[in-house]
Amino acid sequence: MTQREVKLLARQTNQRGGVGSALRGILRRSDTSVVIATLILFILFSFSNSSFLTPFNLFNMSRTASLYVMVALGQAIVIVIGHMNLSLGAIGGLTVVVAGWCMDTMGWSPWVAAPLALLIGTLCGMFNGFIIVKSRLNSFIVTLASLFIFTGLVQGISQGFPYSNIPKEFTMMGRNDLMGVPFLFIFVVIVLIVLGYVFKYRIVGRRLLATGGNLEAARLSGIRTDNIILLAHTLSGVFAATAGLLWVSRMGSAQPSTGTDWLIVSFAVAIIGGTALNGGEFSALGILASAIMLTLIKNGLIMLNVNVYFEQTFLGVIVLLAVSVESIRMALSNRSRRSQVKSTA
Amino acid sequence: MKQQQVKLISLVMVAVFAISLVLAACAVPATAPSAPAGGEAASTDVAAPEAAAPAADSNFKPVWYAPAPHPYFEEVRKGVEAFEAETGIKVEKQIGPDWNQDSQNQRMEALAAQGFNAFSVYPADAVGTNGLYEQLTPNGIHIINFGTSTAQPTTASFAVATDVKAAAMRAAEELIAAMGGKGNIINVLEVLEDPNTALRKQGIDEVVAKYPDVTIIQEVADIKSVEEAVQKVGDALSANIDKVDGIIATGYTPSVAIAQVLSEYKEKGGDRTIHAVGIDTDEMVMQAIKDGVMDGTIVQNPYGHGYLSMLLLQYLSEGYTPKADAYFVDAGFAFATQENLETYNNDILAVTEQIKSELLDKYLEK
Repeated sequence: MTQREVKLLARQTNQRGGVGSALRGILRRSDTSVVIATLILFILFSFSNSSFLTPFNLFNMSRTASLYVMVALGQAIVIVIGHMNLSLGAIGGLTVVVAGWCMDTMGWSPWVAAPLALLIGTLCGMFNGFIIVKSRLNSFIVTLASLFIFTGLVQGISQGFPYSNIPKEFTMMGRNDLMGVPFLFIFVVIVLIVLGYVFKYRIVGRRLLATGGNLEAARLSGIRTDNIILLAHTLSGVFAATAGLLWVSRMGSAQPSTGTDWLIVSFAVAIIGGTALNGGEFSALGILASAIMLTLIKNGLIMLNVNVYFEQTFLGVIVLLAVSVESIRMALSNRSRRSQVKSTA
Repeated sequence: MKQQQVKLISLVMVAVFAISLVLAACAVPATAPSAPAGGEAASTDVAAPEAAAPAADSNFKPVWYAPAPHPYFEEVRKGVEAFEAETGIKVEKQIGPDWNQDSQNQRMEALAAQGFNAFSVYPADAVGTNGLYEQLTPNGIHIINFGTSTAQPTTASFAVATDVKAAAMRAAEELIAAMGGKGNIINVLEVLEDPNTALRKQGIDEVVAKYPDVTIIQEVADIKSVEEAVQKVGDALSANIDKVDGIIATGYTPSVAIAQVLSEYKEKGGDRTIHAVGIDTDEMVMQAIKDGVMDGTIVQNPYGHGYLSMLLLQYLSEGYTPKADAYFVDAGFAFATQENLETYNNDILAVTEQIKSELLDKYLEK
């Protein structure tokens, strides 16, 4: 029996089945494991420390997770097409510095500064995409070079000084809430819903996935892959810039060092969240769950008061345990598929 | 690739580099973004200490080297500029691109090849920099560490820096005093790879051990960025919100994070009294002190780090040698609170003046 026939049989069985087939459907999703792992960790930490479920802690955690999501989206959107963006943090840093410079040094309104900073981030992403498309160079090399360019600009403009005179109204997004839920979190959830919809139901989303799945096939099927690559990198710049602005909004100051540690977070959250490293797959729910999971672990380690010198070790072990849920999911999914095929045959 | 495309790419690349250069050249002067409150801003206008400096030596070609742009180095640079103004000696001032030892090696070797023979250096890596020094010093080049020391033994002649353990102990004493001699403390350390972090921790532990009613309930560390610092300080506060009485930071980044997190906690109506002491004079920290959110901050002496290290290099070039066991020059520190926000910088300048007057007797011989 060919793989196609197996899939067809599985689909037919799904259509006939009830709870069992729904469960099988859930098991087949690549983001199921990270959602389950996140839930397990949430329950474990809730019982381990009474402060874990306090509104203050939940508020802070959800804001951190929101920023992780935005940073991860900047990476995920290029991973989807089989690329990467090493200059993500530097774009974020440049956005922060531009926003700070406009509001603090120039005294401009946030209504001018924020769009200008966002535009700079967008142009940076577009610059990456343009060079990649026109030079046919690997995204790794191009974004590595642009990482130096953007970092140099950050240091040259700011000379390491933070910008502190950020108008109070600009911090509303980063600090305020709606019935206890941070605006940041609400904003990020909306962005994820929109992206989930675009990737599932809109042509542009399918083209992004197709380009990442098989570039040559996508090109032969009539997709203008160069435009898609340019779009993905531009969006990466938009997300990086947005993350930078949200960070300024949370901090109430613009720190030039912003973004220096985004690279690992961006890859970790995106990949653990179900974005395929070789392109073609994206999960909005997975990215949200993955960001929450990483935040939970970091928060939980502090709640548990672990030895600071071994903190990284604990972090690594817990991440490994959490992602190993994925192998359990795959084993269960395969077993379920095999039994399904047997019963149908 | 078509010729037209190649041209287009070349044009874009040239444009980007041109814009980069223009932006870098037209960038706001170091002090332009919100001048730090108190000491840092004030120190700009302060004249160099008055005691007589040694005469200029024509063979003396000094360099001041910092590994990467940072507000601290801009303050140190002011001390170097004061030395230049006072002595008429031109100092080659270089700031590297990153905190990488390799970058530092390449740049300093290039400077040595150009004939520069006296270096005031902030070491990018406490151990790795010694390898570089071991190559340079046999050629008659004098090197002085500023800001921090390289690991011992070292071929650097001096380290002009803050006694980090003493500063941490003072910070802990001030915090405990603000807490009324009792309560629970969160200790926020910074980069674990930095040997100074262990010294700071040791200093705080020693002070806390003297007070039976004071306990360190949580230590937070391994902080390399402001993002990480804000997250960790926020988490630590959440974990201990019902029992924390004080929070202390002995690194720049955690101090900024404490200022941010506590300011927000107060803004949101947090009613617990949490005392806080930090280090350095970032504007957020100074604002938090002004607003009563933080109790105070340790103010280092970056001006002295720059000025005194250059002065020592000049003495060395004139044939003076370091006295035995006179390696570490404690550049001193002050404690800024709401009460002395306008005047603490004078205390720091007095320390520089005092050290300068003692340099020949205490640290050098001929």
